[in-house]
Amino acid sequence: MGQGPSGLGGNFDDKKKDKKDKPKYEPPVQHQKFGRKKRKGPETSSKLPTVYPTTRCKLKLLKMERIKDHLLIEQEFVTNQENFTPTEQRQAEEREKIEDLRGSPLSIGSLEEIIDDDHAIVSLSTGPEYYVSILSFVDKGLLEPGCSVLLHHKSVSIVGVLQDDADPSVSVMKLDKSPTESYSDIGGLESQIQEIKEAVELPLTHPELYEEMGIKPPKGVILYGAPGTGKTLLAKAVANQTSATFLRIVGSELIQKYLGDGPRLCRQIFKTAAEHAPSIVFIDEIDAIGTKRYESTSGGEREVQRTMLELLNQLDGFDDRGDVKVIMATNKIESLDPALIRPGRIDRKILFENPDPQTKQKILNIHTSKMSLAEDVNLDVLVGSKDDLSGADIKAMCTEAGLLALRERRMHVIQDDFVKAKERVLKNKVEENLEGLYL
Amino acid sequence: MAPSEKDNKSELATAKPEMKKDSKKKQEVEEELSEEDQQLKDSLEAIVEKLNAPDVASYDSSLDQLKKYLRESTSSMTAIPKPLVFLQPHYTILTELYDKWTDKKLKSKFADILSILGSSNKKMDALKYRLLSSEADTAEWGHEYVRHLALEIGEEYGERLEKTEATDDLLKLALEIVPFFLEHNGEADAVDLLLEIEGIENLPDYVDKNTYSRVCLYMVSCVPLLAPPDDLAFLKTAYKIYLANNELPQALALAIRLDDEKLISNVFTATEDVSVWRQLGFILARQNSSFKHENQDIQEIISNLKLSEYFKYLVKELNLLDPKVPEDYYKSHLENSRFGESASSVDSAKQNLASNFVNAFINLGYSNDKIITEDENKSYIYKTKGSGMLSTTASIGSIYQWDSSDGLQEADKFLYSNEDEIKAGALLAMGIASNGVHDDVEASFVLLKDYVTSQSKYLRVASIIGLGISFAGSQNEAILELLIPVIADQSTSLEIVSIAALSLGHIFVGTSNGEIASTILQVFLERDLSDFSSKWVKLLSLGLGLLYIGCYDSIEEAVETISAIEHPIAQSLQVLVTVCAFAGTGNVLQIQKLLSLCLSKTEDEEKEESDEEKTEEEKSKSSVDDEDVDMVDAEKKDEDEKKDDSEETKKSEFKKDDNLQAYAVLGVAMIAMGEEIGQDMVLRHFGHLMHYGNPVIRRAVPLAMGLVSASDPQMKVYDTLSRYSHDQDIDVAANAIFSMGVVGAGTNNARLSQLLRQLASYYVKSPDCLFNVRLSQGLLHLGKGTLSLNPFNTDRQILSKVNLASLLTTSVLFLNPKDFVLSDSHYLLYYLSSAIHPRMLVTVDEDLNPVKVNVRVGQAVDTVGQAGKPKTITGWVTQETPVLLSYGERAELENDEYISFASALEGIVILKKNPDYVELES
Repeated sequence: MGQGPSGLGGNFDDKKKDKKDKPKYEPPVQHQKFGRKKRKGPETSSKLPTVYPTTRCKLKLLKMERIKDHLLIEQEFVTNQENFTPTEQRQAEEREKIEDLRGSPLSIGSLEEIIDDDHAIVSLSTGPEYYVSILSFVDKGLLEPGCSVLLHHKSVSIVGVLQDDADPSVSVMKLDKSPTESYSDIGGLESQIQEIKEAVELPLTHPELYEEMGIKPPKGVILYGAPGTGKTLLAKAVANQTSATFLRIVGSELIQKYLGDGPRLCRQIFKTAAEHAPSIVFIDEIDAIGTKRYESTSGGEREVQRTMLELLNQLDGFDDRGDVKVIMATNKIESLDPALIRPGRIDRKILFENPDPQTKQKILNIHTSKMSLAEDVNLDVLVGSKDDLSGADIKAMCTEAGLLALRERRMHVIQDDFVKAKERVLKNKVEENLEGLYL
Repeated sequence: MAPSEKDNKSELATAKPEMKKDSKKKQEVEEELSEEDQQLKDSLEAIVEKLNAPDVASYDSSLDQLKKYLRESTSSMTAIPKPLVFLQPHYTILTELYDKWTDKKLKSKFADILSILGSSNKKMDALKYRLLSSEADTAEWGHEYVRHLALEIGEEYGERLEKTEATDDLLKLALEIVPFFLEHNGEADAVDLLLEIEGIENLPDYVDKNTYSRVCLYMVSCVPLLAPPDDLAFLKTAYKIYLANNELPQALALAIRLDDEKLISNVFTATEDVSVWRQLGFILARQNSSFKHENQDIQEIISNLKLSEYFKYLVKELNLLDPKVPEDYYKSHLENSRFGESASSVDSAKQNLASNFVNAFINLGYSNDKIITEDENKSYIYKTKGSGMLSTTASIGSIYQWDSSDGLQEADKFLYSNEDEIKAGALLAMGIASNGVHDDVEASFVLLKDYVTSQSKYLRVASIIGLGISFAGSQNEAILELLIPVIADQSTSLEIVSIAALSLGHIFVGTSNGEIASTILQVFLERDLSDFSSKWVKLLSLGLGLLYIGCYDSIEEAVETISAIEHPIAQSLQVLVTVCAFAGTGNVLQIQKLLSLCLSKTEDEEKEESDEEKTEEEKSKSSVDDEDVDMVDAEKKDEDEKKDDSEETKKSEFKKDDNLQAYAVLGVAMIAMGEEIGQDMVLRHFGHLMHYGNPVIRRAVPLAMGLVSASDPQMKVYDTLSRYSHDQDIDVAANAIFSMGVVGAGTNNARLSQLLRQLASYYVKSPDCLFNVRLSQGLLHLGKGTLSLNPFNTDRQILSKVNLASLLTTSVLFLNPKDFVLSDSHYLLYYLSSAIHPRMLVTVDEDLNPVKVNVRVGQAVDTVGQAGKPKTITGWVTQETPVLLSYGERAELENDEYISFASALEGIVILKKNPDYVELES
């Protein structure tokens, strides 16, 4: 045993001391567990066993029922036991006592350092630092350097811990109100809708289908294609349709002022997503951070790249993310880092093309369905097969036509407005193209 | 966004007029129809029109056309195929039409199609029309449809059962579907369907060599979750399938589970191959089975004669031959020993005794050690006092366990000592050394039998225990005849009677032997009632309980007789017998009953509680609206009443027997250990019991936790135990410490050994706890980490009754630690010997000589019901046999150079060369 000699040496001194003043026996200190051990989820002891197989079958049902039976027994036992020996009252009394000890008003400080089991150094917001005691009823598991603690107003001892887990900036990204756009607002894109449904929605709602097939569901998809072809719209429709938590961010949001903030935010987003699983994370304009890596001298560049590396890790890193699906959208897929969109991170790449004539017609129908049109408007002839129009262009055309009608103080849009509007939209597009020519 | 009216109108103008009655929702669907869909719809409608027309001649072709459309439709996996959607509005028309038709052939064809249509709506008509149709090819409509049909069959069957109608046609249809399921990876569906209609016996006709293994795997894993009698039917069917497919080891495993001698011998007669016989013999040997085979060679294997040889081969290959001393594992230099040297000063005789047990545990089965066998002048034995000397001498037996010839010789040296204790120890050692190992001579029996009637108490006790350990599970009639008179004799002390009963319990474990049972019950009926407060009664009742391990269908008689005993102990006895009988079944109803027994009330409350309290309690229970719970209620009411009657009369005379609740807690563990979910969930119950329970319950909980996960050191279990090891109640702490040893037994778990070292320095002043800490350290390194206490074997399929009995005995001994082990009856601890077995995998060739092959050892994966051919192990390491297998680990051969005779690579496995093996060129 390698430790042998050194251990003995240590004992030797102690022995001498012991002989001198034979201290009263006391048990060695039990090491308290400081710092957070478990990060999320219920305590392991109260976790329910996982049930295999995951396919639909009687065995699974039986196992589930067995768990239910046990829980019912447990409930019965506890309620009966509570009837015999009510603990609530006692607990209430104890709680009151703790309230007394804790006192009020409370001040808030931040924990600088833990000295031993019941002492720590705290600093108050006003500046001074104190060596204070930690009261025994404080949950040691939550104490870690840097956390905010409640302090007794006179003795300044620690009487509680403030838990500020979620970064407020992340909770903003959680979508509370679902967008109004649904699948029915999308003209065409049938195959894209099907693909995104298979990759994102079905794994969350019907995981057993994939299990039966013996495949792992895709982790994420990337939507790419020319501007205005409905990438964001489709994501909105997914958000509208799904019951999963929907987190949406824009790539540029991940670029932060201070070093390390971007990656941290990235981590937090995925942590929040995992806590609220099943969830869908939608990152729009991923090219803001996801461009190819290259030698760079600028600190800002490198920070952006580090953010992307964090994203890479979150997408397919060491930790299993569980029921979190990722949707990304960009119109420059060729500029993205190949590592970001490799299979395993992003399993499906969904191309959005400019609509074909039929789809254009549908889009036009959708957009004009709420407009007040004159009798003479013939939508069929408005968009021909030759015009290079995207979905957004068609929308712009409708808006333009409406504006033109407004200019002439008409209450409905006539065919002529549409024709003019189309010309304008096409002209703007042509100008864009010309611009490219001159460069 | 709702589409505007205008759009709708324009759409509707083109649509067929008959669609008008469709709902609004339908219209939305309509709106999105592409041209192809519209076309499809039109043509389908045309067919419907045609069918509606009176032209009989065109019906046939129309039906064919319709069928073609339905067959050819494909779609995404969640949506209903389009033709079905389009035909839905016409469904009622079509059904009416069907009733009008008269042509039988056409009708049958039509019913076929209607059945498909019926499967996609909510009306459950698929089955009705399927039965009306005589078209044979049910399967051709695809998986989704057949599944739906299976669902309807199940429901219909339930309904018909209620109405007591005939179900033959359902069975016939089900049997048509079953082959389809089996062909298409749907073995779970097939089994489920047959279970639903109670026709599982028909399954063997349909499985073939490609499907049987998956089917059986699924069935066997269903067993612990099924209510009787379905579970037995499943086991029997699986047994038949295995037997028919010549998977004899698997069939044997199931036969052992069914505990049917005839089935076991059927397995043997199914083959003439001696190697297979031998392999089967090894499996039986692992159970300490009492099965007799006429072939001398095989019988030797079943009697474990080779076990020691293989075990020694294992340890030689693993380089573990050097004997160890307890200090090697105490590592007291690592203990936080500020007060280190005082440790040895307390109660040194006790600590020496502990060291002796540890020495026995760590060198168990090695046939050599540094302390006792090299100790020529017995100085070591004299370091302990009184019965300690007995235990110390007996440790020779442990060191020579399974090596009966050497062990008997070694122990024989001590037999000529003057002290009774040492002589007794030698007797016990003889018993232990021949644990589960028997030849024709049965030397241990010959040597021990004379001392059973000896005058000295020690000699008597030791010889009886020795017999119990040596012949555990063997059902030896000679011992029965020897010990029955001891029990029946009124003049023998209760101690001897109890131990004799316990030994008989071990020998005849799980046989529900009527002669022993009635003899033990006679003791209860005839003895003076005041005797029953003695601690030995626990062992007496345990002896009775062990007889019934696993035989839950034959305990009624015993329970009846027990209720004739006019003493509160009757109730404890009933509980004990019941829990033993249901051990390993995972029966939730029993667990519920036991937990309700554990409701703890303080003494005063108990008296105040009159009947109204009880009715209240029942009310609250029946509010849990679960069928099962209701059933239990009814039974419980009866029980409650009984309890009331008996208790009210007796209360004045006797205190209630508190072992009742302790047995109940252990029982919860024993019942739940049979299946994994129960094993997990029961830990939650224990948490509550610990929280609310009275001292009796609290003392039993750590033991129960140890019982549930013996040799399976899960973090959550030993973390909890380590928390309990600092409990205020010193007995709870002591039990928790011992359980930590049981949980980690033979694993060398580093974390546990660190925890135990901490405990050793924490309890340095408490000799009792320290004794337990030492025991646990010994158990943790049982056989230097080559042995195990887990009672499950053969892929966790078989629960060895002998092992369980011995674990249970140890737990009961600790229920009140100061009664037995911590006072001077620690030699009873040797009952643990028969739970100990090597956790090895030794591969041998057909001549039973060890061969070295490469195997992959890894974490077992539950592959039930998974698609494809999933890996059965994960995270494996390739090693050369012999290897050690931990709990939850499985081994598989690295390549197909050899073929294994056993299904589960565990224990001793016979391999033969694969004739088709081709060495891969690198």
